[in-house]
Amino acid sequence: MNSSLPDRRLIREYLLGRLDEQKEPESNLSEGILFSDELSEVVESIEDEIIEEYLDGALDSADRNAVDEYFLRPLERKNKLRFARLLRHHFETRGNALVTPPVDILPIIGPDVASAVGWRHYFRTYGQLAALILLCTGSLIYISRVHKNQTRLEGQLAQEREHFATIVKEVPPLQSSLVPLTLVADRSRGDVMQIPHIEIKPSTQRILVEIALQGHSLGPFDVHLEAKGKKGPIWSAHLLPLVSPSGDGRLVFDLPVQGIESNIYSFVVSSAPRGSARPKYYDFGVKLTG
Amino acid sequence: MAVLLWAAMAAPGGKRALTPEAFGKFLRWLSDDDELAVREYQSIRRKLVSYFIRKGCAHPDELFDETVDVVVGKIELCAEYPPLNYCYGVAKNVWRQDVRERKSISLDGDVVSPEHPDTGVHEHELKCLEHCMEQLAPSDRDVIASYYQGEGRDKIETRKLLADGVGGVNALRIRMCRIRKNLRLCVVDCIKRSAN
Repeated sequence: MNSSLPDRRLIREYLLGRLDEQKEPESNLSEGILFSDELSEVVESIEDEIIEEYLDGALDSADRNAVDEYFLRPLERKNKLRFARLLRHHFETRGNALVTPPVDILPIIGPDVASAVGWRHYFRTYGQLAALILLCTGSLIYISRVHKNQTRLEGQLAQEREHFATIVKEVPPLQSSLVPLTLVADRSRGDVMQIPHIEIKPSTQRILVEIALQGHSLGPFDVHLEAKGKKGPIWSAHLLPLVSPSGDGRLVFDLPVQGIESNIYSFVVSSAPRGSARPKYYDFGVKLTG
Repeated sequence: MAVLLWAAMAAPGGKRALTPEAFGKFLRWLSDDDELAVREYQSIRRKLVSYFIRKGCAHPDELFDETVDVVVGKIELCAEYPPLNYCYGVAKNVWRQDVRERKSISLDGDVVSPEHPDTGVHEHELKCLEHCMEQLAPSDRDVIASYYQGEGRDKIETRKLLADGVGGVNALRIRMCRIRKNLRLCVVDCIKRSAN
């Protein structure tokens, strides 16, 4: 890799739109990418990295916002993101089938082959009878060894199978890394006792949230996540709703589970910019299991 | 020839103010040889559309067409410049203009949805992906399968080993980027072919 290539962090900032106001570094990098195939490929690999981290939920909120509002504006990038999800889905569901069986059960052909060739030469030299006796003896020894090898390999194979079956029993079943959460009624409509609850298992990585927006405007929304008994939001986002042809709006987004504990939480949804309508609270309970 | 190319190369669904004559003029500026001119045009288009994508523009094809419009208007003044350099200079201004006019974001689709909203399409995409995985070179197939294998600490360890095997972390990133790109193009092609 060429050491004169720009720093990966700088390229990342560029791809998240943070150099747009800095004429010189922006121009240098834009021109560099345009005229260097090597740099262009490095930039593409950093794009992939950003998408992977976005899907892992490993980006901080500033980077995540930059991805949502800048990086993902072009359709090509959205398609790249969708493809990255497809690839993950493929390996999550088919990954196990790709593992090559490690047991090598090829038949063993040892030094007996060479000695068998020698006996044939012996037969030609010293006569048919002696050769036949020797050949029979040799064959018997050879067959006996092959038998022994076969029995040993079968024993090893049986042991491997038994070991594999034990491992399979010990491995817990694969669980989905996504937990869906649908919120329909805000606090003013819902029964406090009937708020939805979700279980977060060790395998859970993200919560896929869908909030139905009755009576909201269709502009952008500020969404904050608050935990009962804790001050301030623990997660925030600026989101646009998806609007059906009949005019119903819903917010669909996913939330990393890092930092989420067993508690009661609320999504506070307010029209952005703040002011006109009062925010709505969508409550739900979380239980950590396993 | 310019008329045919003009029709074939216009951005799909994009507005185009450029006439076939002006487009022909643009091609002639690139080269006197038809074949070379087309090749040069395609290369400039690919590079500048990628530039607009990297700059977060929602409609990169249209912005490229706007760039060509401006260049054609000044073609007499720019005869001595290398075409890509001149087009890039214009593209930069087109981008700045686009930023000024940029309105608040509007998501074209449900970008956070893990699957295609149509289950049938999603299944089809997965089938195409399986087909394309089979087309990969065995070594690439092994690399990508290992890359996505495991979770948490195991995944990190596997990727470290992979990186050691291919010459370092950056080499692995580039290798993965190439494999993903090949797969993506193959899947797109597979979906297109089965739609026809």
